[in-house]
Amino acid sequence: MEAIVAHDLTKKFNSFTAVDRLSLEVREGEVFGLLGPNGAGKTTTIRMLACIISPTSGSAQIHGKDIIGEPAAVRGMVGVQTESPSLYERLTATENLEFFAKAYGIRDPGEIRSRTRELLEFFDLWERRCERVAAFSKGMKQKLAIARAIIHDPPVLFLDEPTSGLDPESSKLIRDLIVKLSRMERRTILISTHRLEDAERICNKVGIILRGGLKVSGAPEELRSRIAGEAKVEVRLLGSASDYIRSVEGAPGVSGVDVNGSNLIISTWDPALTTPDIVRRVVEDGGKVLSVRPFLPSLEEAYLKIVEGMRG
Amino acid sequence: MRLANALLVFRKDWKEISRNYQVLAPIIFVPLVFTTILPLILVFVPSLVGAPGASFQLVGPMFESLPPEVKAAVAGMGAEETIVYVFALYFFAPFFLIIPIMASSVLASDSFAGEKDRKTLETLLATPLQDGELLLGKMLVSFVPSILVTFASFAVYCLVVDLASVLRFGGKILLPNALWLLFIFGVTPLVALAGIGVTVIISLRVKGYREAQQMSAILIAPILALIFAEVGGAIIFGPLMILLMIGVFTLVNAIVLFLGIKHFQREELLTRGG
Repeated sequence: MEAIVAHDLTKKFNSFTAVDRLSLEVREGEVFGLLGPNGAGKTTTIRMLACIISPTSGSAQIHGKDIIGEPAAVRGMVGVQTESPSLYERLTATENLEFFAKAYGIRDPGEIRSRTRELLEFFDLWERRCERVAAFSKGMKQKLAIARAIIHDPPVLFLDEPTSGLDPESSKLIRDLIVKLSRMERRTILISTHRLEDAERICNKVGIILRGGLKVSGAPEELRSRIAGEAKVEVRLLGSASDYIRSVEGAPGVSGVDVNGSNLIISTWDPALTTPDIVRRVVEDGGKVLSVRPFLPSLEEAYLKIVEGMRG
Repeated sequence: MRLANALLVFRKDWKEISRNYQVLAPIIFVPLVFTTILPLILVFVPSLVGAPGASFQLVGPMFESLPPEVKAAVAGMGAEETIVYVFALYFFAPFFLIIPIMASSVLASDSFAGEKDRKTLETLLATPLQDGELLLGKMLVSFVPSILVTFASFAVYCLVVDLASVLRFGGKILLPNALWLLFIFGVTPLVALAGIGVTVIISLRVKGYREAQQMSAILIAPILALIFAEVGGAIIFGPLMILLMIGVFTLVNAIVLFLGIKHFQREELLTRGG
């Protein structure tokens, strides 16, 4: 089932088009990463899907609810973590969560208390629950902002740079939480991020947005092989590598061979399939293999290729 | 629209405001000056140094335009007593328009435009709270404290004036009287509402609290004009004036609140002025 469906979503601010006919589909339980440089339209897209601003044209549905026709219903079923933590700094952590729990329609005080405690303990903020948020570090604020976004247990989450400003331990905590929410609890999560390594680790699908338009989308591995090109396998030998070019040329799956001193650099679309055969051929021809390393193109390479290509 | 949701916004904003000294300071100190410090100076300086001729000349035109019954009331008084009587009962009245308008515009600026400054607006607008609930909650948090401050200021002012009148006029208590009660309970709430209405409209178009505050300062201009008109003898604080103010502010409120409600839309708040 599709949890988020957007069709030709467009947002114009006077003559400036922030989002231009963006279409996307995210299935229930998927984590979709929206990648793009600053000003590409990621935040505006999230704002439209979360019914914070209305689109100039186009349409979108969240779990079947239309963002234009039923904005209140959509707001109730999504959790939003904005680019800045957007917390009430003169209120305590508990007061912030309690306010948003009530604003999202939770009326039972017992439920509010238990949910608040559960989240503050999970994010390691329970001991600081009575302190004003102004005294919190950037990382603590970021964690509290995510706690606020999920206080009402929403089936759909929009997270804008969720690991921004966090230390590695806290980043891992957030990544693990996102994975848990999507895989175990079947929540649908749309993330806007600059951190491509995060996207690669946690997203089922990514889309690259540029100048308001979604230029390409797909699974991270699919994108990186489709856009960044083939993988390379580096075989380090004892002695000159040029003697073994003929050994691997023409092997199934090998599309090119280069030599760099004692290293053979082999281009292949599928290193898992071709590497054992390459090593066997070199060894059979008398080569002494010191090491074998596959180099997969990263999502970052794919991303940069698209961004640079678009900029001309 | 659910009143419980509006009250939720009200309580949240009130907690924030009550911990914000930048907002509390003017709401405490301005009334303190108008209700205590200035009246004390007025009451005690003439008795210490004697009423200077210039001060009597200052209220001369105002004295001329006083209603006959007031003129009759001060007929047998000396210069010092006349000044205290006229200042306490007439001259200070317009200051009680400044208190609700200043308090309501400071509170409304913080509540509406302050959310832009603190970048908290987006997450508030992401909740299912309706526009009407947000507007009512924020209007209440601007209105209720401003009017409470005004009423409390009036109570303090009555104490100060009566303290002086007991000493100067042989135990006579001057305030509260019917005119002042009509003025405080009839006019000042309307003035506070007008301040909120104008500030809501301004807040939709500015980046943050300071800009909203600077623009809201324009609200003081008509009050200053009233003070100067009263000192100049052009108008006098009396029943007719109060009824006129009730009529004018009711009309102003109808216009500004209509415009404020019409333009108060979540998207306008977030995208305009930013």
